[in-house]
Amino acid sequence: MSTIEIKNLTKKFLRSGANESTAVTAIESLDLRIEDGEFFTLVGPSGCGKSTLLDILAGLSTPSHGEVLVDGEPISGPSLERSVVFQQYALFPWLTAAANVLVGLESQARHGQGPNKADRRARAHEYLRLVGLEGVEDKYPHELSGGMRQRVAIARALAHEPKVLLMDEPFAALDAQTREQLQDLLLDIWKRTRTTIVFITHGIEEAVYLGQKVAVMSAKPGKITEIVDIELQDRQAVDDIRSTRQFGEYRHYLWTLLHRHGRQGEEATIDKTLITSGASA
Amino acid sequence: MSTLVLPDQQVRVENTTVRHVRPTRRLGASLRKTLYRSGAIIGFLLVWELVPQFVLEPASRVFLPPLHEVLQQLWKMIISGDLGTHIVASLGRSAIGFILAVIIGVPVGLVVAWFAKVGDFLNPLLEVFRNTAALALLPVFTLLLGIGELSKVSIVLYAAFFPVLLNTILGARSVDPLLIRAGKTLGLNNFEIFSKVVLPASVPIIFTGIRMAGTSAVLVLIAAEMIGAKAGLGYLITNSQASFLIPKMYAAILTVAVLGFVVNAALVALEQHFSRWARA
Ligand SMILES: Nc1ncnc2c1ncn2[C@@H]1O[C@H](COP(=O)(O)OP(=O)(O)OP(=O)(O)O)[C@@H](O)[C@H]1O
Ligand SMILES: [Mg+2]
Repeated sequence: MSTIEIKNLTKKFLRSGANESTAVTAIESLDLRIEDGEFFTLVGPSGCGKSTLLDILAGLSTPSHGEVLVDGEPISGPSLERSVVFQQYALFPWLTAAANVLVGLESQARHGQGPNKADRRARAHEYLRLVGLEGVEDKYPHELSGGMRQRVAIARALAHEPKVLLMDEPFAALDAQTREQLQDLLLDIWKRTRTTIVFITHGIEEAVYLGQKVAVMSAKPGKITEIVDIELQDRQAVDDIRSTRQFGEYRHYLWTLLHRHGRQGEEATIDKTLITSGASA
Repeated sequence: MSTLVLPDQQVRVENTTVRHVRPTRRLGASLRKTLYRSGAIIGFLLVWELVPQFVLEPASRVFLPPLHEVLQQLWKMIISGDLGTHIVASLGRSAIGFILAVIIGVPVGLVVAWFAKVGDFLNPLLEVFRNTAALALLPVFTLLLGIGELSKVSIVLYAAFFPVLLNTILGARSVDPLLIRAGKTLGLNNFEIFSKVVLPASVPIIFTGIRMAGTSAVLVLIAAEMIGAKAGLGYLITNSQASFLIPKMYAAILTVAVLGFVVNAALVALEQHFSRWARA
């Protein structure tokens, strides 16, 4: 439940021991505004700077120029307000599922916030239940499937009720069926909590299915080239919305945008106005 | 399975037979496996028992008494409490040196791993010490600390310290950076990242170091006791040899072998216990 403003953001990586001229510019003069409670997805070719952007939003790395404001405040390092779900789950393998979910809650408690001890345990179990993992509280990550691990990671990211959820290709390592289940789970959670979600993906379909807005990023230098409003009705109210014409048009339009920047100078052949308005049907 | 096409009754009959057969078959298989695995040891003990009696001339038999004589001697020493005293002496020294090595080695290793500059500075020296066989330094220890308990414990400490230290450094350095990033986003400060992420993540590798340290603690101590001591299994071996109590010498050697085996097995179990989660 936070607004994120990115102003004139540039991120350069210096090769160690080398001078400025050999620096890699991962992101250049990027401006972006993500509204409170928005489900924002970001697509772009490999290496265009998506993870770099997410790292900066998480406070795990700092911009070279420009600034990022969350609710008007500049970011100063990682914070429980902004949770991250990583592609490789990043669960602590020596902790049980419930103990993993408790990590953020316990940090919160050390800062004198959040629920007391008994309630923390209850909260961890509640969030594991929310992601459909009742009964695995005492299992270790290596005893869980990839899908279950990512569910634990989502529960861990949400249990302390952050304002922003940052996700870097969280479902990329999962099989198609599990991925679709988790997409729906994420939509359910978002509808319930109205957390601002920034979701990075390689999948155009995934971006359209989840996002209210899809930003297209291009590489060298990393920039946002287009932001597409997705005006589809409630994804889960329709059977197999991915096969509807409107969904297909969004998918194709984004595909064209992504490929236009692959082939130099060529313009997108599809006009945005061609996409049938989504408010109806 | 083809049982799918069989009528109900037959399926049940077959299942019952299977249930009856399996346990015995499994027991037989595991017995055979155990026998097979201990085959070499049993063979060795048989050779030890038979060769001195039927192959060796009586003159050489004195230097290699058959197993039963050694075992008789061992039993006598157990009954008299003689052996116990020496075991306690050896184990006590190893344990003290070993525990000190762990108490010092783990924190020092963590500090060296955490502060990269300290690590870069100390690393060359550590490499030199690590590659110097502990026993090569025994005369130095004896000169400086005498032949008493202090020099024994010190050499065990020295020998056990490096495996612990180097594995701790290795463990702490090889922590997945992703876990550190995850920890930061979950509100852990630098100290908490260290205590709640780096330390637990390094535990399996640290315990590998602890196991190696335990094994070398026993080995080095026995050798040190052979060179100068008034008690302990190493002393018992050399002293029996010098007094020409050959079965006694073999009894002591056998004890050392069993002791080394038990210590190693215990430490392997400990290591496995603490790295359960790492076997993914
Ligand atoms: N720590 C780093 N040091 C140097 N260069 C880096 C570093 N991290 C990223 N880069 C460079 O920055 C650019 C963007 O990388 P980034 O990881 O953000 O891409 P991405 O869009 O997430 O790609 P992918 O889709 O493959 O995950 C790449 O050219 C990469 O080589
Ligand atoms: Mg990436």
